[in-house]
Amino acid sequence: MNDAYVIGAGQSVFGSFPAESYRSLFATAFDRAVDSVDGDLDPDRIDEAYLGTLGVGGRQIGLSAPAVTEHVGLHGLPTTRVENACAAGGYALRSAVTAVRAGMADLVLAGGYEVMTDSSSDHTKWWLGVSGETEWERLSGTTFAGVYAQMASAYLEEHEATKEDLARVAVKNHGNGAQNPNAQLAFECSMEDALNAPSVAEPLNLYHCCPTTDGAAAVLVASEELARKFADEDRLVRVAGSGAASGAVGLFQRDTLTSIPATRTAADRAYDDAGFGPDAVDVAEVHDCFAIAELLAYDDLGFCEPGEAPRLLREGVTDPDGDLPVNTSGGLKSKGHPIGATGGGQVVELFEQLLGEAHVQVDGARRALAHNVGGSGGGVAVHCFEREEGTA
Amino acid sequence: MSDRAIVATGAYLPRFRLDADEVREAWDQSPAVASARVPAADEDALTMAIAAAEDALGDTDVGPDELDYLGLATSTPPVEEGAFVSRAVRALGLSETVRTEAATQDTAAGADVLSAAAAADGPALAVAADAPEAEPGTTDAGMGAGAVAFLFDEGAGPRLVDRADHADEYPGVRFRERGATAVDSIDITTYERAAVTGTLASAVDGLSVDPDRVTGVAVHQPTPKLAGRITGGLPFEGVDRQGQVANAAGDLGAAGVPMALLDALAGADDGDLTVGAFFGGGARAVALAFDGGDVTGPDLDGGEFLPYVRYLRERGHVVSGEVAGGGAHVSLPTWRQTLDARYRLAAGHCTECGALTFPPEGACRRCGGRDTFDRVELPREGRVAANTVIGQGGAPPEFGPQQARDGPFGVAIVEFEREGETVQLPAQLTDCAPESVGIGDRVRAVIRKVYEQEGVARYGTKFVPV
Repeated sequence: MNDAYVIGAGQSVFGSFPAESYRSLFATAFDRAVDSVDGDLDPDRIDEAYLGTLGVGGRQIGLSAPAVTEHVGLHGLPTTRVENACAAGGYALRSAVTAVRAGMADLVLAGGYEVMTDSSSDHTKWWLGVSGETEWERLSGTTFAGVYAQMASAYLEEHEATKEDLARVAVKNHGNGAQNPNAQLAFECSMEDALNAPSVAEPLNLYHCCPTTDGAAAVLVASEELARKFADEDRLVRVAGSGAASGAVGLFQRDTLTSIPATRTAADRAYDDAGFGPDAVDVAEVHDCFAIAELLAYDDLGFCEPGEAPRLLREGVTDPDGDLPVNTSGGLKSKGHPIGATGGGQVVELFEQLLGEAHVQVDGARRALAHNVGGSGGGVAVHCFEREEGTA
Repeated sequence: MSDRAIVATGAYLPRFRLDADEVREAWDQSPAVASARVPAADEDALTMAIAAAEDALGDTDVGPDELDYLGLATSTPPVEEGAFVSRAVRALGLSETVRTEAATQDTAAGADVLSAAAAADGPALAVAADAPEAEPGTTDAGMGAGAVAFLFDEGAGPRLVDRADHADEYPGVRFRERGATAVDSIDITTYERAAVTGTLASAVDGLSVDPDRVTGVAVHQPTPKLAGRITGGLPFEGVDRQGQVANAAGDLGAAGVPMALLDALAGADDGDLTVGAFFGGGARAVALAFDGGDVTGPDLDGGEFLPYVRYLRERGHVVSGEVAGGGAHVSLPTWRQTLDARYRLAAGHCTECGALTFPPEGACRRCGGRDTFDRVELPREGRVAANTVIGQGGAPPEFGPQQARDGPFGVAIVEFEREGETVQLPAQLTDCAPESVGIGDRVRAVIRKVYEQEGVARYGTKFVPV
């Protein structure tokens, strides 16, 4: 098997951009990804593309991925649109890694794009929660805020967790996002703000929910041979592990309401593939679409024992200066959540972390983890990255 | 007549209630009733009929699939044309061969389904359910809502012993124009009074029973005052039981006399005669005579009093909610495939490993077996495993109109246990303050309107705290 490396990653600013389109946002991300490569990369060397999008708004349901690669001049490229809800980007990366590892390609473009803020509020609502289980879950009157709120209700009942712990996620991630020029909600929030915001779905309030976002991200995945041509020896970022798993699409169809089983399985597979476990991870981007999701991620990714996630937050373990900083980019909460672009956006942050170029830099970060959840856990992709020690 | 009798009864009144004081404060005028029951945003004649029918069927050994006849009387059918009684057949789990009938044209409709059920062959259920509307004002504030069900079968109980009819043309008396939702009347006081009291007196006059044996009456009663006038015009000297529901529950439309009948029959003994005097605008009158009693009357007390503005919202007077199509859509054919799961809580019981799967399709949740399901019905009561309260902005747009009318709503994941196995399903909470429901609470399944799309209402299970 050939190893796969990330040699470049870039994103557009995440936010609300009436003057942009999904194509122009992707062009920005693509150009930034190409520019981030150490050497001078000719985009024509790209062999294949896997791009994630849900297609919010219905703007181009069919063939939107070729629409963006053609838009950036990658004429004739085999391009596949990946749809796995909010995990589309993580799965697009996995497809790119698979292609390189299989020897089918030397350089693959992964990433995604989404435009979510350009429709009327009525029209927009029709596109929220469309990745929930439609026939029962949605028709019980919930979008994802409601489903994650149900998980929060069960988690708060089962474990020693409080609404303050949910608020701690918002405060931490906004603190990080405030330093990230690519973040949509780049402002700090206080505990008081995060505790007293208007309720969206009890026990979740506005500060426990990520925004809707426009944005795009692009990641260049290369074979070892190609990576060594373009990256300096101490700047080689290897995709050490890739794991993915499916779960029941509806929360009600699962045996547990306080854990996402697909995260556990995907993480086990990624750690197994990487040859290291959660203890070796220096920095992580986890899927915090709602505050409770970050707590579930700590438990399910093995950052702590089940139910201990609140302790990590209270003790500052996942703060930027803690033992395992999480969501240094601001996470989905502050950086934004343009569905198809989110998984790629996580890689952008981790690529910068491993190269020592992040806005909220974790000193000496060598191993990183990206955790991307589709819906409430119907599909999860986990990737582990490792910066190789220079041989010099 | 045969040995057929009313062997079981059921009644349903919505949770909400509007007090006359609220109306006086809003309009500086008194409504005609002291209080009226108000249907919630997710209720209509069909859901109330199902609730009353469940109440009656729960009171008997007759299984739902044994029914030979289901008649539903209402002046507010959920559709102007269309076989809505078939929806009750599925919701109640009746046999597909049951004879169904809808009587919808006037407020005397209850007499027709009662007569038909009394004359049917096997177990027969007559249900009257109504929620009449008028333009906001003191008249509409007197409009109530409720449902009542009578199960006829061989056995002991009140027997229908006679019927007499009277029809005559009185245009402009209690009518609803085609396409309108508000009940209207031309409002010529003496003319209307004559139409109502005259036709009813004539119908009652046509009964062959001995007037001296009649000790109970249940008369048409949009208002207590009109009920008094009607009763005063009847040739009965020894009445000591009067079915009275209007003052507590409001104008119940086609369910008014049937509910009053249940009230009057509750105090009757064997040998006592009770006359129901049904009036339909336009006009016709029907008199039904019942012999005997011993039934449980309706509980007209209780309920939760609403502020007037909330009343206007629940009724939908101040909320419009056209729902367009969009990103997530469950087609009607797909919806129809799940009716048993939605109404009857049908789940799959795996014959290989014993696990329960809901909805009963696809692979077994535990062992992954295919085509291994026996269809079983879950108990109607379960336990809350997780819950949330959906506030403004948190609801899918299908539920926007409901939220505008009824406010924030609860959505729970409810866990059911059957023979040691558990399974969950998500559904809304109704008839409660959603924030008052906690994990571990027991809840019971009821049938309510879930949402409406493309002009078609979709009904299914919601949960109320036990």
